[in-house]
Amino acid sequence: MENKNSPEIRKGKNWFDKYYKLMFIVPLLIIILSVAYVSYFYSQTGEILQRDVSLSGGTTITLNNGQNNIDFDNLEKQLKEKYTDITFRKLTDLRTGEAIAFMIESSSQPEPLKADIESVIGYKLTEENSSTEFTGSSLSNNFYKQLMIALLMSFILMSIVIFIMFRTFVPSLAIIFAAFADIVTPLAIVDYLGIRLSAAGIAAFLMLIGYCVDTNILLTSRAIKTREGSVNSRIFGAFKTGILMNLTALFAVLPAFFLITGLPDSFRQIFLILALGLTADMINTWLTNTSIIKWYCTKKGIE
Amino acid sequence: MKLHWKIWVLIIALIVAALFIAPWAMFEKGVMIKSVEKNSTELSIGLKSGMIIREINIYPINNLEDYTRAVSEIFSNINQSIKITIKTTENSFILFTDEQLKITVGEIPKSKIKTGLDLSGGARALVKPQNVTLSDLEIADLVAVTGARFNVYGLKDITIKPVKDLQGINYLLIEIAGATPTDLETLVGEQGKFEGKIGNQTVFVGGKDISHVERSGQRAGIESCSAQQQTEMCRFSFPISLTEEAAKRQAEITGALTISSEDPQYLSEKLDLYIDDNLIDSLFISKDLRGQVTTQISISGSGTGETRADAIKSAEESMKKLQTILITGSLPYKLEIVKLDTISPTLGKEFTKNLIILALSVFIIISVILFIKYRRIKITATVVLTMFSEAFITLGIAALINWNLDAPSIAGIIAGMGTGVNDQIVIIDESVSNAHISLKERIKRAFFIIIGAFFTIIAAMIPLFWAGAGMLKGFALTTIISVLAGILITRPAFAEILRKIQED
Repeated sequence: MENKNSPEIRKGKNWFDKYYKLMFIVPLLIIILSVAYVSYFYSQTGEILQRDVSLSGGTTITLNNGQNNIDFDNLEKQLKEKYTDITFRKLTDLRTGEAIAFMIESSSQPEPLKADIESVIGYKLTEENSSTEFTGSSLSNNFYKQLMIALLMSFILMSIVIFIMFRTFVPSLAIIFAAFADIVTPLAIVDYLGIRLSAAGIAAFLMLIGYCVDTNILLTSRAIKTREGSVNSRIFGAFKTGILMNLTALFAVLPAFFLITGLPDSFRQIFLILALGLTADMINTWLTNTSIIKWYCTKKGIE
Repeated sequence: MKLHWKIWVLIIALIVAALFIAPWAMFEKGVMIKSVEKNSTELSIGLKSGMIIREINIYPINNLEDYTRAVSEIFSNINQSIKITIKTTENSFILFTDEQLKITVGEIPKSKIKTGLDLSGGARALVKPQNVTLSDLEIADLVAVTGARFNVYGLKDITIKPVKDLQGINYLLIEIAGATPTDLETLVGEQGKFEGKIGNQTVFVGGKDISHVERSGQRAGIESCSAQQQTEMCRFSFPISLTEEAAKRQAEITGALTISSEDPQYLSEKLDLYIDDNLIDSLFISKDLRGQVTTQISISGSGTGETRADAIKSAEESMKKLQTILITGSLPYKLEIVKLDTISPTLGKEFTKNLIILALSVFIIISVILFIKYRRIKITATVVLTMFSEAFITLGIAALINWNLDAPSIAGIIAGMGTGVNDQIVIIDESVSNAHISLKERIKRAFFIIIGAFFTIIAAMIPLFWAGAGMLKGFALTTIISVLAGILITRPAFAEILRKIQED
């Protein structure tokens, strides 16, 4: 498929041979910036991410809008006076743009919060018109700790798989480094945006570990495991395949928050984090990892 | 055209998945019985939950509206018993009544796929004993007792199961589908009251008055079996120890009883066991116990069945149930609700609808991207078919193992579809590149990448099976099933179909 003598490729090759080390700088800056931001976040809050009530303890009440036409702004205003940590979110219908439901989160116990909402909206909350989720604080802290351990375990297991696959130090390390960057950049963005992560959100980070390394595996195996054509043409071939993989995966997750907003929150968080991770992965695979692999091939004399 | 065996595997997998999902249920007419009231005529004539009603008297029942209309017409103004004929898919039942039917009905499920609480509505409680760690045996007791208590309250569609987290802490997970009683919290959080009464006098209260229940060993088990007409009957017995105080109370109460006129082996009154004031069992009292202050008493009962093995099984089950009930009031700990969610069914419907729209839009978007890239209808169609197959097989397996699909599980399926597409892109690109290497070798290379990606995703998902008491197990499970279905079934078939397309 690749025609090495086409002017376009030759031009690409020259450019690539000259500047591949510089390609490393952009992603490196992003990673350093991300790590710095997460560290700053940690120094300010004592946490590497903001947890929602399912991971810190508290109550989520979801009001179905239905025919009730709740005056949400008023409700928000009144509740904010009493609960300092309360957060509000609106779920809207895809086609009509009308509010389907309102989500109210607070570290409070369910009963007082329910009573206060009832007194503002003027009717009783039942299982039909609302959902209530309560998580005790000791359990949620425990959940959070365990999910963090799970995240670490996932990362270690993934690293072992990569080492077994390639059995070479630098290329394997490059993939693991890219995977680390795929996690830390979305984390920094999520922190920056002030998103409170739920258990499902953290699970999405685990998924990122498995989801993002496939383009890296593709690149590394094409570059160092096969010998057809030049290194550059193999890398370029991998890029053409991999970027399509990245794009389809990204487009598969994007509709979940641009098109359809009336989805369970756990679901939207998973997809948001996957989208951020996949974007980060494009940079980390095709700039970071590509430049390391090219450098490795040059050093090792792989043609 | 002769089909390669890999394609046959895919076809068979799809058929089997279809059998598990059984989507044709959506065309089935009738209403399903959700529950039948305790001690009702309806129950005694053999109506059971899960049966599908097709006809009541002359009225054909196709859906809930038909049922409501039929029932309201039949019972509109009657003042005497009338004959009601209920036809189900298998049988006809006849009863005479002047009251509304003592059953609740609902729509027939559209398929065997079950949705989780966040999509179908219902309640979920995660319960932990306060300040103690339970052993596996103790948590199994707790499951049995909680189940027995919920049964007493007539709550349906409940799953109660023990869950363990990464640190080995045992929890009790209780899930109730559909609308839930408002007093759920009290019901879950309290230990329950267990009483043994003779007449209306309390002999002992579970826990407080029972110091020991013998559950296994020589003195607890099946005593004897005998055949009566067509049925087999087995008797069991096991000893329990009462406290001194309860033993005295028992002596006083039994002292006032006479010998039973029906069976001279026993006393005239029975020992009735109650859970939360609901009668659950009545036991005969041996005549030797009359007026005796004894701390050791033997509790006995029986089980019946068509064969001896059935009778033994039934007796053992009854024995276990009784033992658990007697022990439980004695649970030496308080229960604490650490998580309680009640999800409105209305919102769940909205979510489900949106998830279906989302899945369809993902299909369309991916098809468009691939068509733009490859400009070949056949290739695009094959990818879409493969994606569909993976999702369908995953749903089939979820239906088979009775998995409740919650929002994270569905996210797992969509994410699995995403990796599936990625793998197919690798296969396509490998198969069209490097024309001087054999196609077989190129596909082999593609599979090296695919298998690598497969193992990394498995490695990443496995810790989720335990973390956080398995609340995100669904996500890990569907992701793993769909990548597994991909690697074992759909991708080999896909590579094969692609080879055919390339050769043409």
